[in-house]
Amino acid sequence: MRPCSREMQGMNSLLNPSSQIPLQDLQNQQIQNSHFDPNLSSNEDFLEQMLSSCSWADPKSPWDLNPPTNLPFPTNNSSSSAKHRDLFNETPSSNSDSNNVGFRNSFDESVILASKLRQHQISCGNGAAVSDAAKMMLPQQLLMAVARGGLSLNDDIDGSLSQGGDGSIQGLFNGFGAGSMNGTDGASNQSMQHFNHPQARLAAVLQGGAMQSPNLGAHGAPATTAVMNQPQASGSNGGAPAQPRQRVRARRGQATDPHSIAERLRRERIAERMKALQELVPNANKTDKASMLDEIIDYVKFLQLQVKVLSMSRLGGAAAVAPLVADMSSEAGGDCIQANDNGGSLARTTNGNQTASTNDNSLTVTEHQVAKMMEEDMGTAMQYLQGKGLCLMPISLATAISTATCHNRTSGIINSHAHLHQSNGEGPTSPSMSVLTVQSMTMGNGGGDGVAKDAASVSKP
Amino acid sequence: MTTKHGIGTTHTRSIKNRFARRFLRSLLKMKRSNRLGTGFQSDEEIRKRNTQRIKTAADRSMARVVGPRKIWSRALLFKLRNRARIQVGLRKRCLVSKKKKVLRKEKKVQVISREPNRADNLRKLVPGGDSMDICCLLEETAHYIKCLATQVKVMQSIADLYST
Repeated sequence: MRPCSREMQGMNSLLNPSSQIPLQDLQNQQIQNSHFDPNLSSNEDFLEQMLSSCSWADPKSPWDLNPPTNLPFPTNNSSSSAKHRDLFNETPSSNSDSNNVGFRNSFDESVILASKLRQHQISCGNGAAVSDAAKMMLPQQLLMAVARGGLSLNDDIDGSLSQGGDGSIQGLFNGFGAGSMNGTDGASNQSMQHFNHPQARLAAVLQGGAMQSPNLGAHGAPATTAVMNQPQASGSNGGAPAQPRQRVRARRGQATDPHSIAERLRRERIAERMKALQELVPNANKTDKASMLDEIIDYVKFLQLQVKVLSMSRLGGAAAVAPLVADMSSEAGGDCIQANDNGGSLARTTNGNQTASTNDNSLTVTEHQVAKMMEEDMGTAMQYLQGKGLCLMPISLATAISTATCHNRTSGIINSHAHLHQSNGEGPTSPSMSVLTVQSMTMGNGGGDGVAKDAASVSKP
Repeated sequence: MTTKHGIGTTHTRSIKNRFARRFLRSLLKMKRSNRLGTGFQSDEEIRKRNTQRIKTAADRSMARVVGPRKIWSRALLFKLRNRARIQVGLRKRCLVSKKKKVLRKEKKVQVISREPNRADNLRKLVPGGDSMDICCLLEETAHYIKCLATQVKVMQSIADLYST
């Protein structure tokens, strides 16, 4: 057993100092015995036989078998099947790692397959079968080479081919003698392609532990392409890449992330509520959420103010309303409210006897201001009044309106007229003008309308 | 504000009627107490107090009509009760007996510190809005607006009734 000893030495140098499983040897023997069956007609049947008979251990780490897989390439010099068998005999004796069992089996399988196919080829003399066999065989060898140390397939093949007789692959090539297997770069490339396909299939088989012949035979393109890239690139991931890709696709489509789902639900709920609020609030033509919120806030303020005003008005009189409105001006901002403020302050002064408040001063100040501005320019005076929400109106009209609506307040209004007249005595303005707010009229009429957003309305039955 | 169609209409109508009833009852009570009480206060003060009373009566009756089902009504009732208790306590009684309830309510109110949000103003307006997230806040605001609108309508109609 000349080669055995040599290989023994080589093996010992390469292998880990772990004990071998004698079981492996037995298995090998079994496999060898069971598989040398020349009655099979097709390569696929060969593989099927071999693979079905062997017991696949846990395939999770078939690539851990670095040391033992080194054996065939550097040390194998002869091309006889017996040599392979010897190799097989040697290798199991030196490795006892249970993880390696599955891969060892595959290794065994591959070598046995190689030998079987060669036998088959010899018996049948079929070139096609040989090429197929080569496809089957070599990838396994290549897989081992890859597992060995991250060698690229090209390198392996090239290296093995360039060695010119060294390596089991070379031996196989020589043995087959098929056109595509001869040691040229072009041939190697071609064979590379062939290798990749069956290698992919084999890788998938190794990974998944599936032993059906269709996997090994005509395999679909997508899986192979997926697997092809992996071995070439990383060199150690077999059929794994096919799975994560499908997972990613599902994730994108369904958005299964619980956080995003919760976020989406929350957003939908908020949108629902905003829509409901839009229906309640008038002037809800705003599409923007922020402006809608502002609108809602204004409306709530307005309603609360209305309630306050109404609670005041029940006690009767603009006097009651006035202090309320003056107070309101500090809280709420809004056109109607500002106008009401002025109206309130004026209304208060109309009942000057009853209420003594600080707003009187502000009103007199306003009146003086207006008088001054009237001296200079009517336009600015009018603008000033408009800014304050006031307007000029002939006294006769004012009295007419006030008497038509509320009898209680006419005296108050007349007081204000007199007051104004006194202040405007020197001014060029005609004494028939008096400053009144539209709001003060409506205020006196019940308080509700004055607070309405339609601040310009004076009418009240 | 006009009544809405569908289920909301009957809901609003029932709120309106119940509120009207309660409010009128409270007004009558106030009127009686006014007649009996306070002659020494100035008119303005009387008026102010009355307006305050009317407003609180309106709010309380509204909150009672809504019931403890809504956060804002509960918060409003709690606030009114506290105010009344404090006022009463200042005059005569002690608050010992009521402390339990107050504490319970305080525990209910969570202190949530958030970054300044656009909805902060809304929280200030709606009673009990501080302890709500935006989702609940919007819901409560919708209901609150509805109830406020009915309140305004009823009060307006009463005022019209009395003024003419």
